[in-house]
Amino acid sequence: MLKKTLVALSVLSLSTGMVQAQGTWTGGDDLPTTPLACDGTAATPAAKEYDGGVPTNPPDRAGQEITVVDVPKLIGIGYFDATSKGIAEAAAEMGNMNATTDGPTEANIDDQITLIDNYITSGVDGILFAANDPVAIAPVLKKALEAGINVVGYDANSEPDARQWFVNQAEFNGIAKAMIDSLAAEVGEDASFAIVTSTFTTPNQARWIAEMEAYATECYPNLQWLETVEAQEDNILSFNQANTLINKYGDDLKGILGMTSVATPAAADAVTQAGQCGNIAVIGLATPNAMKPYVDADCVKSVVLWNPVDLGYAAAYVMRATADGELQPGDTEVEAGKLGTLSVINGSEILLGAPFIFTKENINDFDF
Amino acid sequence: MSVEAAPAFRPRRSGLTRFVSAYGQEIVIACAILILFAVVSLINPRFLGANNLNTIISGNAYIAVAAIGMSMIIITGNIDVSVGALIGVLATISGTLAVAGYPVWVAWGAPILAGAAINAVVGALVAYGKIPSIVVTLGMLSILRGGLVSITGGAWISNLPPDFLLAQQRLLGVPAPVWFMVICTVIAFLWMRYSAFGRSLYAIGGNSEAARAAGIPIERRIVEVFAIHGAIAGVATILFATQLQIIQSTVPPNLELTIITASVIGGVSILGGTGTVIGSTLAAILFSAIGAGLIFVNVSAYWLRAVIGLLILITVLIDMLRRNRETRQASR
Amino acid sequence: MTIKKLLRHETILAVLVVLALIVLAAQSPRFFTVDNLLNQGRLMTEVGLIAIVMTFVIVTGGIDLSVGSILGMSAIMLGVFWKNFGLPLELAIFLALMVGTLAGLFNGLIITRFKVPPLIATLGTLALYRGIAEGVSQARSVRGYPDWFYVLGQGQVLGVPTQLWLLGIVAVVAAVILGMTTWGRMTYATGSNETAARFSGLRVDRVKLLIYSASGFAAALAAVIFVSRVSTTRSDMGTGVELDAITAVVLGGTSIFGGRGTIIGTLLGLILIQALKNGLSLAGVKSDGTIVLIGAVLILTILISNLFHRDGTR
Repeated sequence: MLKKTLVALSVLSLSTGMVQAQGTWTGGDDLPTTPLACDGTAATPAAKEYDGGVPTNPPDRAGQEITVVDVPKLIGIGYFDATSKGIAEAAAEMGNMNATTDGPTEANIDDQITLIDNYITSGVDGILFAANDPVAIAPVLKKALEAGINVVGYDANSEPDARQWFVNQAEFNGIAKAMIDSLAAEVGEDASFAIVTSTFTTPNQARWIAEMEAYATECYPNLQWLETVEAQEDNILSFNQANTLINKYGDDLKGILGMTSVATPAAADAVTQAGQCGNIAVIGLATPNAMKPYVDADCVKSVVLWNPVDLGYAAAYVMRATADGELQPGDTEVEAGKLGTLSVINGSEILLGAPFIFTKENINDFDF
Repeated sequence: MSVEAAPAFRPRRSGLTRFVSAYGQEIVIACAILILFAVVSLINPRFLGANNLNTIISGNAYIAVAAIGMSMIIITGNIDVSVGALIGVLATISGTLAVAGYPVWVAWGAPILAGAAINAVVGALVAYGKIPSIVVTLGMLSILRGGLVSITGGAWISNLPPDFLLAQQRLLGVPAPVWFMVICTVIAFLWMRYSAFGRSLYAIGGNSEAARAAGIPIERRIVEVFAIHGAIAGVATILFATQLQIIQSTVPPNLELTIITASVIGGVSILGGTGTVIGSTLAAILFSAIGAGLIFVNVSAYWLRAVIGLLILITVLIDMLRRNRETRQASR
Repeated sequence: MTIKKLLRHETILAVLVVLALIVLAAQSPRFFTVDNLLNQGRLMTEVGLIAIVMTFVIVTGGIDLSVGSILGMSAIMLGVFWKNFGLPLELAIFLALMVGTLAGLFNGLIITRFKVPPLIATLGTLALYRGIAEGVSQARSVRGYPDWFYVLGQGQVLGVPTQLWLLGIVAVVAAVILGMTTWGRMTYATGSNETAARFSGLRVDRVKLLIYSASGFAAALAAVIFVSRVSTTRSDMGTGVELDAITAVVLGGTSIFGGRGTIIGTLLGLILIQALKNGLSLAGVKSDGTIVLIGAVLILTILISNLFHRDGTR
């Protein structure tokens, strides 16, 4: 039996190739990419027909008090804590929206689906969601639309026809450009770097990695990707993985890209504790509060993120406009309170804006 | 279950045989670690760099410490599936106190006391309520995990005072978590091997009726061992919470499974009555060595978990072959 | 072990379920409706299938922690066989069920041939099977199944969700096997005293092999239903489902030490958990509060049940 298992092990290793495939970055998805121009010329987005869904016979909710539930990917992490604050803030401002946040305690597709199903039964007027999986969540969202409920997504999209609108924090290719530009600026255009992500199955992260690869191939062909490691949503594991990368590559490693708000501060801590500040750059998606110690200590120069409080805030305003019938298929913009006018892109998405880059100069102005 | 509980200490034979047979699993794991280091460092010599050794040994130190308490629980024939959630709760308690400006020794002491108190309740439910420990701790898992999110609302704790960050300290060039792991393991090993209290744990797990007949107060002992396990989880929490400058209010997914796996792979019999904490500490080191080693030899990241699973299974099977052979020899 | 004693826990649990239904129905008028109850049945099918077979496993004194990983692996295989190998979907479903069964059989072999305690064996395969799911899928998901496939997870037959029929059939078959056949008696005998069972000539190992294979099959069946319900495959499907299933089984009065337990108890346990999740949510309790309550109910139920017969059958 021992022999058999050893044989199985070697067969397994041979058949799958223990050595990583050359040329493609691990962790990206296989959807088509649309890298931005290297010099930052804004691409003119092709006009697209509305491709969202339509609720079946919704009651007239214009100006009425509505009950809205917000179901993020999971509760208990700083990021979605911030989006729910934004939603609550907008609801308080409008005065006629009753919003609660309720999500699974782990980023689990089944728990999220069950929760949404329960809220459909309980008869809410609107559902705000951030999907753990774009396809898996679609059937239950379609059920909500059929029940006449207004459905608006934010942060992580579903299939377009399973919801009415999606508030897009920043386009995937925009994030990718910001990350790779920051990396190249800090470590040079021919440096080597590695990526720490949550899991390869997380759709947003997989999209960003694929877009970063496309953009880097086009604009910084000499940047060298070393590898991508998984670290779940676990900060100690992220810390250990970042350490292992530092130990493995030594001086060859010039940069670490953190793909989640958990991985980035942990990677920054690993670089700090290894005494490599200044030698290894950490660039990543993260919330400012978690990054302040490293930015203040000059160990991290740029943190890429949109403002998640604004994201929640915008999602709540889009929900209100949808329920009121003010935001109709075909519209090109929507009013979102203090954020002003936001524009519609890709048929049924509302764009929050360009990704924001936090630096030492501005990071202390934010508290989330 | 299918394996007969082996006696904790076998009849006297020649010194070496006795040593090998009493510490067989520890030896298997130590060999596995050595083989892994040899193979990986042949492929990539950087694996043996001092920093990397530090990363590997200190990376899972909090798991090794938590596995000490878990091993005691398992040796008495019980189990605790709530320890991951407990560590999450204790970390939040500790971090909240530290940020609120209490002296660091309060912030470090609180999780130890709170862990002991919470698990004493668990132990009482097991011992006096006669509820199987897996049921109580499954319930506690839900209660602690839900309660943690309810109370924190998901906010992370940041701005930790620098002198709170114990796990980042070094003594004689060795990271604090390694000191904690080694000292806790040695104390627990000696205590369980030589003290009356420690030996009574083996007796309870091996044969509780005999233990009762020998005058061991089983119920009280169970409550005590759960409380000790809670206190040790508190120590693990300190290492967990002070490694970084932020404390997450969620618990790493499947932390309890990792801790239990370290204990049982380390040779603690799930039927109770046998095993030492040295094995579980070695197993925790083995896990982090496997994780890092596979990255060093460029195993495709997609297949990483499959290879880890396979290696764990192989370790278990080798040990079982060894034990089965021993049983056969003994019965001859 | 008399029938009376067996009924004890189940009776208490049944009373508790009825109480919970009444209280929850009073909290929200939308709870006790045919539509909602049928829909809840749909949502609990996957855990239900796994828990029913888990009852057998636990009655033999074993445990199967790898079911969630088998679910994930079978789901991935279903997609790979259909999309990457281009096999007809019917055949892919069959093969996915086979993969699950073989995974269960492999568990059984490790447990019986190598005498590895079930907890350790399935902790190991928990990591292995999930790893295979991740490796084979390369983090890609397979979507776009033909419409007929969705009938299984999203459709209805005679006004009842399709998968609920399946759950019903499996539950009845399992209850009959465990309660009325030689196989059932062999299962109990294995769990009460394995050595005695061996000496009285029972082929204990064969019973175990069969039960662990069935556990793998149930997880694979749950995988097919789950894929049909959510219309995609992911390698992380079924994570943590083992603890949900075990919770339902022990809440249903099956002794974790083996030898005691019934299918009806497991079903009551399942219903109580699902009713609490749904009813509390409709009553406005958030999910974190709900899981706290479920944990408390689990401990209290077993505590109350123990108070009724304090004869040390722990």
